[in-house]
Order: sequence, then structure tokens, then C-alpha cells
Amino acid sequence: MNRVFSLAWRLFKHEARRGELTIILAAIILSVAAVLSLSLFSERLQGALTERSASFLAADRQLEARQPLKPEWLSAARSQSLQTAQQVQTRSMVFGPQEMSLTDLRAVNSAYPLKGEITVADKPFGTEEKVSQVPNPGEAWIDSRLFQLLAVSVGDSIEIGQASFEVTRVLSEIPDAGFSLFSTDPIVLIRIADLEKANITGPGSRVSYKAYFSGDEAQLETYYDWLRPQLDEEIHRWQSVQDDESPIGRSVARAGQYFLLASLLAIVLAAVSIAVAAQRYSQRHYDPVAIMKTLGASKSMIRKVYVLQVMFIAVLGIAIGIAAGVLIQQMVVSALADKVEVSLAVWHWRPVLIAVFTGVICAVLFSMYPLLRLFSVPPLRVLRRDMDSSLSSRTFQFAISGSAVFLLMWAYSQNLKISAILFVSGIVLVAALICVTFGLIRLGRWLGSSKMGAWQLAWARIRRRAMDNSVQLISFSITIMLLLVVLVMRNDMIKQWQAQLPEGTPNYFMINITEDERPQLESHFAENDVTIDRFYPVVRGRFIAVNDRRVNTEVTKEDVEPEDQEDTQDGLGREANLTWSNQLQKENSIVAGSWHGNAQTPSQTNDMYEVSVESEVAVRLEIAMGDTLTFDIGSQIVKAKVTSLRQVNWQTMQPNFFFVLSPEAMTSFTPTYITSFYLPTERKPELTSLLQPFASVTLFDVDARINQLRGIVEQVSLAVEFILILVLVAGSLVLIAQVQASMDERQQELAILRTLGAKGRLIRSSVIYEFVIIGVVAGFMAALANEFSLYLLQTQLFNMTPSFHFSYWLIAPITGAVVVGLLGAVGCWRLLTLNTSDLLRKIM
Amino acid sequence: MIKTSQLTKIVSTNEGELEILKPISFEVKSGQTVAIVGASGSGKSTLLGLLAGLDQVSGGQIFLDDEPLHEMDEEQRAQLRGAKVGFIFQSFMLVQSLTAIENVMLPAEIAGFDDAREQAKEILEQVGLGHRANHYPNQLSGGEQQRVAIARAFIGKPKILFADEPTGNLDAANSEKIEKLLFELNRDLGTTLILVTHDEALARHCQRQLTMQAGALSETSSDDTLKQGIA
Repeated sequence: MNRVFSLAWRLFKHEARRGELTIILAAIILSVAAVLSLSLFSERLQGALTERSASFLAADRQLEARQPLKPEWLSAARSQSLQTAQQVQTRSMVFGPQEMSLTDLRAVNSAYPLKGEITVADKPFGTEEKVSQVPNPGEAWIDSRLFQLLAVSVGDSIEIGQASFEVTRVLSEIPDAGFSLFSTDPIVLIRIADLEKANITGPGSRVSYKAYFSGDEAQLETYYDWLRPQLDEEIHRWQSVQDDESPIGRSVARAGQYFLLASLLAIVLAAVSIAVAAQRYSQRHYDPVAIMKTLGASKSMIRKVYVLQVMFIAVLGIAIGIAAGVLIQQMVVSALADKVEVSLAVWHWRPVLIAVFTGVICAVLFSMYPLLRLFSVPPLRVLRRDMDSSLSSRTFQFAISGSAVFLLMWAYSQNLKISAILFVSGIVLVAALICVTFGLIRLGRWLGSSKMGAWQLAWARIRRRAMDNSVQLISFSITIMLLLVVLVMRNDMIKQWQAQLPEGTPNYFMINITEDERPQLESHFAENDVTIDRFYPVVRGRFIAVNDRRVNTEVTKEDVEPEDQEDTQDGLGREANLTWSNQLQKENSIVAGSWHGNAQTPSQTNDMYEVSVESEVAVRLEIAMGDTLTFDIGSQIVKAKVTSLRQVNWQTMQPNFFFVLSPEAMTSFTPTYITSFYLPTERKPELTSLLQPFASVTLFDVDARINQLRGIVEQVSLAVEFILILVLVAGSLVLIAQVQASMDERQQELAILRTLGAKGRLIRSSVIYEFVIIGVVAGFMAALANEFSLYLLQTQLFNMTPSFHFSYWLIAPITGAVVVGLLGAVGCWRLLTLNTSDLLRKIM
Repeated sequence: MIKTSQLTKIVSTNEGELEILKPISFEVKSGQTVAIVGASGSGKSTLLGLLAGLDQVSGGQIFLDDEPLHEMDEEQRAQLRGAKVGFIFQSFMLVQSLTAIENVMLPAEIAGFDDAREQAKEILEQVGLGHRANHYPNQLSGGEQQRVAIARAFIGKPKILFADEPTGNLDAANSEKIEKLLFELNRDLGTTLILVTHDEALARHCQRQLTMQAGALSETSSDDTLKQGIA
């Protein structure tokens, strides 16, 4: 074994020194570095974004219940080294010296919040600051709106239940305030211990109990595993950041999927480059293997020598790749430090393990077939140079490579769906390319048969090598396709994110606008150059029956007598906000029936009004098309027939409704109105004067939330841009490796053409044309496969509207021609400038 | 040293089976020098490949130092080549990524010699390339490369040496040097030499000249006592 090791080491050392291993080594370094930097960056960024999302939950996990939580659950969490905090939330009347108001009362302990911060101000609408404390016992922090509603100032007293509190600060924001136009009462924050004194959470009161948990992910999971069997689905709700259905949560989830996709594609790119490089490496070692066999080396010796060499290459490639990956990632993170919150202090081992695993699997599985070919080179090759390996099953090669890629994807993503989508697209692409290759042979035979010009020479060469080098054409196409997928997904994703929050998105909402105030408000705002969005009429009413069968109208079980429960079905559990319109709202789409606004005839059918129901609530409340819904609006009963179901995009910052009735149904009711408007941040001081004439109108400021959302979208977009650049670099290097791989064959052909007297210009042009043709074909095929993959990815994985990109059908072939042509020209330039004798010497 | 009986080689082609070597029977005694001449495509290299155990026979028998090559599998033939056979090729066939001395060491290493480097150094000195030991093949001239190949061929003190056009890639001056070296070593070490060549002068230096024509072998010039065995 020693002499085998020494021979393998010597061969490796010399080949490394002479640059023979550059390509395969570069391919392994690239794969490891790309996978490591991508996944390291992605994990760190994900960590930072998750941390940020966690601030909207005020913790890593939240347990919400309609009953007091068992104290032992919290002590068990603490004993497992988890941080805990508590909150009790209820709606309560709060009394000022003269006025009173219904509020959203939040009583918290001193550990609240575990994530995120409380924002306060010294006076209403004053300068905000973040604090890491909660009110002292006996104190209350109240919403800016309450100062106006209760007519109090900082330092005054307010009463909640039987207790009195001193207002010490203006509460601007708490992390898990949530946002709903209809259910948001002004928040009052007090200490949990003060709640008992207030004595407002007696039987019948609607109270929500929350426990917050933060800590190590594994410990949180272990704790949840212990807790889960004790929870009752009807009463308890366990929430994690991943369950976040907010626009931020969805953006983070989608970005996470994009990172995963990009990393998977980087693995595929790396695998392709290793396969190409390994093939070249193997071909270059046919002679040494034949020589060694001739000199008496046994098969097992040859096997050991080359397996050891692959191991040396893999170890060196992985080591350099890890160093390069860490360095690239560190550089990029430092460059983006002021824009993206990524903590360099946290070290993630998973990406390193993935990178090493990728390097090993790629080095072993992708070099397996070329090595098997190498081992089967006959010794007779020393006499007959045309003798090649006796192993020539492309199917076997594709089977090994394909399984390796699929296994890597699956192992890495642990997502069978995304792996299968990419893999199936790959197979379809390969199958299509094989057909094109055959087409090319035919075309080449026809085009290459006329007088020998540069184009004919190029076609003739393609025809000759179309079969042998089909692997090269396929890998060019796959590379371009993968780059297109990453590029287009990035464009579509960012476009859709930006579309959610276009410039001028309303950042203030107004509710409680009366019918009389509406025209005045419109003209007042117009005079002040502020454009108001559409007015939505709203009345509050109870949804009480479906097809005359009563539904639950309260949330708590206690509200419903047992006998009633048996023959009632689920209701909303609270009053619904009913609106009416003939115009379908933006981001609403009809999924069943037809929109009542489209009807030619009056919408009252058979003395029944029409209603459109939000599709998810329809499923939850078991409402079907054609059902008759009964609403109790101020003791007046309104019946309406369900004529359409709507899908609503809840991610939009606009009022959305479960029920939209036909206007005729509501003529006898006096609504209040909701509207929104956009006011640039610098004009914020004008708010007071804008609203002064309308004392009863309540204003919601969502500017901070929109800015926060925009900030996250910008961060994620930046990270996506970085990943796109990394994948582009990886792809370019793969293309270079592919061009290099065909150099030996080209060298021989050029020498022959030169010897036969072909002019340098003809040869140069023909080589460049050959690459241009390959680039065009690869680009076209890539554009085709790109559409197919994108359709599957967008519809199956990203839940995006599928988009078609016909422009890429032109861009991809042109880019393919330019890039592959240039790479070919640059790669071959040294060969093209050699004189005939130098060329001949190189091939001897 | 070598004895063949009714040796044939048939290959399959698209047009059916093609007999490359017609039944050949001949014998080469230990220490003899034999030149095989013939036109291109006559089957010289095929014969050399079979005699050296690089290829499998289609029919007949070959004995190399009394060992039945025709009955051996590839592994056994490799073992025999490592122990008893040396090779020299027209295109030198040096491993480009190894230095001159490492190329020479290669057969000794494969055979498991502990003193491969010392032996290689000694023989490189013998062929006049001691000072070029650490050069790579592409840093050597054609003549020097062939001398390295000769050193590699003789390092294991083979009983028989096969040479395929050993001077085919060299100019006249280098051809002469190589020829001289080859026969000197052959004489000094008592090695049997079988060479395939187009070079008539080189062939004339051999004790026997066999001519291949359309797959058939005939003896054209030699000491009469050696003619026996050609069928």
C-alpha cells in the first residue's frame, strides 16, 4: 500500500504543480465555496430575518389560550432553560376624569417582550423611543388616541375596573399588537399583577392568556413535544415565527425558499462542472493507465492509485473551497453590513457539513463513471492510440449522475417537491436536447456539405462531435437554464413584493366617518392636497344563520348552552363588519359564482339580496354557494343569498371584508365609512390640522409598519441580488470549465487543419462560430426548459401567479451566443495563436 | 524464449469477421534479436501486441518463457509483463506528469522493488541522462525521451524486450544513438529483443528479419540455423 500511496501522491503532486488538476480542483473548490457561502449567508440572513419576525410575535414561540395557563407549564419551560413572559389581554372600559373609552388592555409581566421592543413617547404623536422595560406597578402607558378620547395628559390618573393608574407614558407600539382596522381598540399597557386589583377578568369576560417562550431552537422543539399532548386545540393556539401569515412572514418564507432553490441550483452547477472536469481528467489519463498496465500494474493497483488521487483532489478542493466560501461570505456580509442585518458572530455548522458532504459526493459520484472508464482502458492503447475505454454506456453515466444530483438535492433541501420539480425539468431538458442533437447532425450534414467556409467548418465540426459532445451541449443548456431560473425568479419575486407596497401605498386609515362628514372630509383633504382612497361603507351586524339554521355568535363556549350547541354550527364568534358595493375590490378575485356587480338585472333575486363571501371563511363556517345567510343588524334581519365566493389577498394594506352585500340590501341602514390616504412622512405634522374638524373620526397610523415592511423587503431583495451574483459567477465558471474540457480534441483538429494549410482566420472564425451555434442552441433550449421549470416552481412551491417570459426566448439564445462564443474564443485563443509546429508538438 | 503455434487474431467488423493474423508458428530463442518488418497495416503491431501479452489471442498458442500466455487472463498477463517484459514505443509513451527518474522507476515500483530510485538513477546514468533525472518529458528532446524509455525498459532486467518503431520519431543522429544503446544493453543484459520497424538499417542489425505481409509471417533473412520454426 505504501508504494501505491507514494506513487499516487507523486502523480498528484506533479499534476497539481503542472496545472493538470486545475479544472477539476477548481470545480470542487467552486462547488464547496458556492454551497458554503450561499447556505452560510442564507442561514445567517434567515436567522436575522427570523429574529426580526420573532419581534412581531414578541418571542420565538407564543401560546395563546382562552383559559388561564397552568403555572407548571411556565415553570417547566424555565427549568428547560427557556425564557418566558406572560400577557393577559382583554377589552375593558377605561375611565378618565370626564370621558371613557373601550380599550385593548394588555397586562404584562416584567419579562415582556422576549423579542422586539416597546416604543413609547413623552407626549401624544411625540418623538418615539424604544424602551426595554414595562410600566411600573400602578402605572399605565396608553395609546396616543386615548389622550384625545379620555381628555387626559401624562401624569393624570385613569381608572380601570376597581383600580386607579397613573398615566406615565404614551404607548406608541408593542411588538405583538397585531393590525386590524376593525378590532383595534387603543392599547393600554399595565403590569399583570395590577390586573387582580382591577378585578375585571371575572366569569363571562372575554380574556386571552398568552405565554411567550424564547431560547434555543432544539430546546423549544423539545418543550413543545412535551407540551403538545396537554394542549386542547379548541382552547390553545401555539404559534411560531414560521406560522407567521403576515406579509413579512410570507416574504421571509418565500425568500427562504428562494435561497434554498439558489443553493440547490448551485449544487447542480457544481455537479455539472465536476462531471465535465472529471471526464476531461479521465481522458487525459488514458495513456498513463495504459502505460502502467503495460508495465505490469494490476487492475487493483490502478484502482487504488486513482481513487487515492481523487481523494487527494477532493480533500484539497474541499479545504480550499471552505476557506474560499467563508471568505466570500465574510466579504459580502461586511459589504452589506449597513444594509442587511446579518450577525457574523453566529457560526452555523450545518452549511459547513453540507458543503463538505457536497464536495465528497460530487467528487466521488461524478468521478465514478469517468474513473470506471479509465480503469477499463486496455494496455494495447500503447500500440494502438485509437483504443479507447471499453466502457461506453452513456445511460449508465446519466443514471449515476442523475441519481447523485437528485440525492444531493433531496438530502440538502429535505424537500421532495422542489427536488422533484428541478429534477424532472432537468430530465425533460436532457431529453429535448438529445432530440436537438439529432436535429443538428442532420442540419450539419446539409449545411456542412457546401463549399468549406468558416460556417460550414463550424457546422461540420458540430455534426462530427454532436453525439460525443452532447454532454457538453446539455451542460451548457442546463447552466444557462439554471441561471435563467434564478434570475427570473428573483425578478418576479421582487416585482410581486414591490407590487404589494407600491410607492404611495396608503399609510393612514380613517374609520367612523359619518355620512354627513364624508363630503366635507373629501373637500378638506383635497384642499390640503391629500388624495383620499375609496370610501367603504360599514355597518356592524351579527351573522346569525345559514339556511335558517342558527350559528354560534359568540366565541366562548360558556356563552352557548349545551342544548343549543348540538344543533348550531360555527359562526364568526363576534360581530361582523358588513360592507356593500357593486365594485369588486382590488386583490379580490371571484373563485365561485359570479360577482353581483356584474349582473345586468337588479341584484335582488326572488326577493333575496346577494352576498359575496370570502372563500376561507366560507370553508370554516361551512357556507356553500346558494346558501341563505341571515344577518342581524341593529335588530333588523337581512337575508342574502350567496352568489359568489371571493379569494382575498389579506397581505394587502387595505380594508378587506368577509361579507360584501349588494347595495340594495343595505339601503335602510346608515353606515359609517372607512377610507385611507397617503401622506409622506415629512408631512406628518400636518395630521393634526387635517383631522381637527372631524373629532369623531379615528385615525390609524400604519406608516411605521409599512416602512418596516419595506425595510425587510429591501433587505431580502438585496440578499437575493447577492445570491444571484454568486450563482452567476458559479455558472460562468462552469461554462469556462466546459470550454476547457474540449481543448484537447480541438487542439488535435486545429493542428490537422493548420498542417493542411487552412488559413488562421478561417480556423479562428470557424471555432468562434462553433461556440456561437452551440450557445444559440443551448440558450434556446434553456429558455424552453426555463418556462417549464418556472411554471412548476411558481405554481407548486412559491404560490405565485405563473408568468411567462417570452422575451427570454430571444435574450437567452443571444446571450448564449455572446457568452459561449466569447468564452470559446478566449479559451481557445492560446491554441489559435500557436504556429503549426508548436501545435503539432503539443499533440505528439 | 517465445514460441507460437497456429497463432491467429480475428476481429469483428461491421462487414463480418476479419482475420488480421493468419495462423503463425515460430520460435525465438533466448538472447536473439528479431526484427519484424512489413508494410503499414500488415499486422506487425498486432503480432507484437499478442507476443507481449497486451492483447488476447483468437486462436493458437503463445508461450513466453515457457508460460502459456494464451491461457492467461489480463491480470495474469500483466503480472508476467511486469516480471519478464520490457517495452519501447515509437511515441515514447512516458507519463507526462512524472519526471524522467520517476518514469524509469515506474516498472520497479509496480514490481515492488524497494530500491527503485537507486536502480533508476544508475540506469539513467548509463543512458547518459543522470543530469536530466528531474526533468519532465516535455522538457526533454525526442532522443532524450527515448533514452528515458529505454532506461525504463531495462530497469527490471527483463528477459525479453519489445520495441515498436523505436527510432520512428527520431532524426538520423538520434536514431543512431538509440540504436547503439539498445543493442549494447541487449548484449550486456542478455535480453531477447523483438522489434517492429520500417527502418531497414535497424532491421539489418538484428540476427533475424521476419516479414509480415497481409497477416502472414515469413522469414526473409537470417542465419539459416534460425529459420526453423517459421510455418
